[in-house]
Amino acid sequence: MGMSFTVSGMDELLRGMDKIPEKAAKVAAEALYEGAGVVADEVGRAVQGIATKPFVKAKGGFKRMASPEEKAILMQARKGIAKFRNNGTEVNTSVGFQNSGYADLDGERVPIPLIANAINSGTSFRQKQPFMRKAFAQSKNKATAAIENGIRSREDELKIDD
Amino acid sequence: MSLVTALKALEQEEDPGTTDPVMVTLPMAEDEWYTRPEAVSYGTVRLDFEADALRGDDDKQITAYEGSVDLWSLARNGAGWVELIVATLRAHCGGSWSLNAHMYERETGLFHWEWTFQVEG
Repeated sequence: MGMSFTVSGMDELLRGMDKIPEKAAKVAAEALYEGAGVVADEVGRAVQGIATKPFVKAKGGFKRMASPEEKAILMQARKGIAKFRNNGTEVNTSVGFQNSGYADLDGERVPIPLIANAINSGTSFRQKQPFMRKAFAQSKNKATAAIENGIRSREDELKIDD
Repeated sequence: MSLVTALKALEQEEDPGTTDPVMVTLPMAEDEWYTRPEAVSYGTVRLDFEADALRGDDDKQITAYEGSVDLWSLARNGAGWVELIVATLRAHCGGSWSLNAHMYERETGLFHWEWTFQVEG
């Protein structure tokens, strides 16, 4: 003895399901953008907290701390959200100074990401101020919450159309 | 002071604070961190900031601090320190560490490695 089921409307359902990956990617990207914005804002605030000292000739002729000019460059620089990458199973991006260009500093044309990196990681002649790592760590929970809220608020878009 | 001792000291620090990071100087550094010692390799270990906290009963129950290990070396391969630092981080921080940056300083000819790690405070 067996039991049989008849399901009608499968064609419509399958057509609707075909659209799910596309809709999910759109929802994920929009929610991710909101989360990345939280991180970018935190990086902006962290830049304001960078300690500076005017250029000084320290031992060996090197400066020891970020200069006010370098801080000003970072404050004006674009703390952008990188182009989204979608490999079919996940959407990801990065936040930082990657595409912020160059600045004139001490008579040299210097890539702005290099200035940010030198302050963040320090050098053998410069005090480390991990403002970016700190911003990332401190915005992680807020960014995750923003992404979750972003997905929840778009749940209707993931419904299969009739 | 060895790196192991340094990491243990960081772990045992009761209130490392976030504005005045704990800094432990590795044995090859004979001077303060901001003046470059005349050594082939030198480095620092320090706690940088409070990374996260598990809260309960209106208080922080567990606090995670993020720190970093920096190695500067004139030797491209780090003169053996890279392997030692990685082994120590593996032993004391489990999976909570990573190589955050590896750079070359044109001005000094030094190679710079920066590892970040998290420990419970």
